[in-house]
Amino acid sequence: MVEFSISNARYTYVHDQKYPSENADMHHIILRRSGSKYIFVYASALLVLACAIYLYFLEEKSISLVYYSLLFDIFLVKLLLRKPVNKESVVIMPAFGVQLETHYMSGKVVRCFVPIDKILKPVLLECVTPVTCYWTLSLIVREESEMVLVFKNLRPPIKMLVHVWKALCAATDNKEETCTHAK
Amino acid sequence: MSDLQQNQKHSILMVSDFFYPNFGGVENHIYYLSQCLLNLGHKVVVVTHAYGKRSGVRYMTGGLKVYYVPWRPFFNQNTFPTLYGTLPIIRTILIREKINIVHGHQTFSTLCHEALMHARIMGYKVVFTDHSLNGFSDAGSIHMNKVLQFTLADVSQAICVSHTSKENTVLRSDLAPEKVFVIPNAVDTAMFKPALERPSRLDIVIVVISRLVYRKGADLLVEVIPEVCRLNPNVRFIIGGDGPKRVRLEEMREKHSLQDRVDLLGAVPHTQVRSVLISGHIFLNSSLTEAFCIAILEAASCGLLTVSTRVGGVPEVVPDDMIVLAEPDPSDMVRSIQKAITMLPNIDPQVMHNRMRELYSWHDVAKRTKIVYDRALKCPDQNLLESLSRYLSCGAWAGKIFCLVMIFNFLLWHLLELWQPADDIEEAPDVILSRNCDGLEGCCRKHNNAENHKNSSDTNNIHDKNNIS
Repeated sequence: MVEFSISNARYTYVHDQKYPSENADMHHIILRRSGSKYIFVYASALLVLACAIYLYFLEEKSISLVYYSLLFDIFLVKLLLRKPVNKESVVIMPAFGVQLETHYMSGKVVRCFVPIDKILKPVLLECVTPVTCYWTLSLIVREESEMVLVFKNLRPPIKMLVHVWKALCAATDNKEETCTHAK
Repeated sequence: MSDLQQNQKHSILMVSDFFYPNFGGVENHIYYLSQCLLNLGHKVVVVTHAYGKRSGVRYMTGGLKVYYVPWRPFFNQNTFPTLYGTLPIIRTILIREKINIVHGHQTFSTLCHEALMHARIMGYKVVFTDHSLNGFSDAGSIHMNKVLQFTLADVSQAICVSHTSKENTVLRSDLAPEKVFVIPNAVDTAMFKPALERPSRLDIVIVVISRLVYRKGADLLVEVIPEVCRLNPNVRFIIGGDGPKRVRLEEMREKHSLQDRVDLLGAVPHTQVRSVLISGHIFLNSSLTEAFCIAILEAASCGLLTVSTRVGGVPEVVPDDMIVLAEPDPSDMVRSIQKAITMLPNIDPQVMHNRMRELYSWHDVAKRTKIVYDRALKCPDQNLLESLSRYLSCGAWAGKIFCLVMIFNFLLWHLLELWQPADDIEEAPDVILSRNCDGLEGCCRKHNNAENHKNSSDTNNIHDKNNIS
């Protein structure tokens, strides 16, 4: 039963309660695949390969050129379409725990369970990389030196993260402390 | 200036490779200026490179937001010059923090030059503060001056910390003098208070706190100290600081058997500087070049009489009766120290401290800097072609190279606009804290309305002469 969803150019956020009797709510961040991006990448790869084959057959260049172009194509496709993740989910089970799921395009699902009593606080943080800044949702976990990232592969916008954060705050009995920030 | 402009609130991005946890004049300047601007109701964000494990976003006193970008320092606490590598992160920060003025600090900061370059191409108003003097003849200086000329070719306004520094910057960068303002540094007088009990006059203690390097005149100290000790049996020296010239000072101490009269403390943490200063009577500064010596302000605030070399902006730092100036020559320095010793009975540390508190306030520096920001925002917007004409005038070959650099930067920026439109960059919420000056008593003193009115009118009058000092 889908309760609520938000979409933008890259991600779709879906909040559903699959098991109303169990009171477990699920939050999904689904990666929206861009068709034009796929077309552009594969067209570029084909163009490089076509040029190499043309040079080999008509200009009588070395066969190694075709091999190199194939390697370059594989590298190009891997580089630009490297995100094999389809969806990341957070399953919140009050009084029990939080399950973090990563769904790959191949169908593989990686799950990580964090017991509710180990979660000290869910926090929204600003992350800085050498090229960009983005928001991330993390869990401060007892007896762990590092925080647990809720969405390890995807970088959904803050408007999506806030809903998951509020749900996690409610589940872990943490007050939603937003007083330091302007509304 | 209208009331509306007077009360206009700015969003300022301070950019420099030099910031806390590093300590120094530039770091202090950025921190205190930011705190006082926050106190005046402006929004201030600092961008610097990561320091060890200090990476990401940090919040400091008063809600000062600092981006420690994970770029590793390459040389002398500077990031590796990439020209375009910093464009994506600078663009992201400018958009997400809703910045309208970019303020770069220090000629030797790579990050500062790159950020100003990117900000200009994106149409932001930029201000640059030069904190030091630079030469003209050696290869390093020639290269640095060309880089400075490139950065300042299209800068909105520039600030220097002394008149000497202004003269130096104008000569080095071919910048129009009317674009350069003089705003001296200040000192947090609350942090540098004299000792409750004045040190005993039986022994006269001369304090030296500086990096023991050639530029700071460590070689002069090697010649001055033995002579002063020979002339005055009751004089002791306390030397705080570390550097490559420490070995020479240790050799001098051994050679003249001054182990009991010269204390070498090594590196002194900034928190301990006051406790070292208040144990002395005279502060000795032997710098060979100095745009503005904050150490002199700190010493004077602690009630010490200063003896200093007459170099750079030093003569402008404190009133003549608080300092004895000497040529950077051992014999003249010895004479000046002798003169200072005779002046000591007339020095009252508390009176000196009170005068410093009146003369130097970070609150005042912030108000003057705000005027420069207002001026910068009034500068007309220019398109790429108008900017390029300025770069072309930077030299026969250099001008063309600068133009190519800026054209490529412009193209990269537009490519980024396509790749990640500005609308996709989320704006960061502003931190709202209850403003309280007490934490920075010496820095941001609350002024009453009459005092505020007087200060603003004074500043306006001075401002017309392009000399905010």
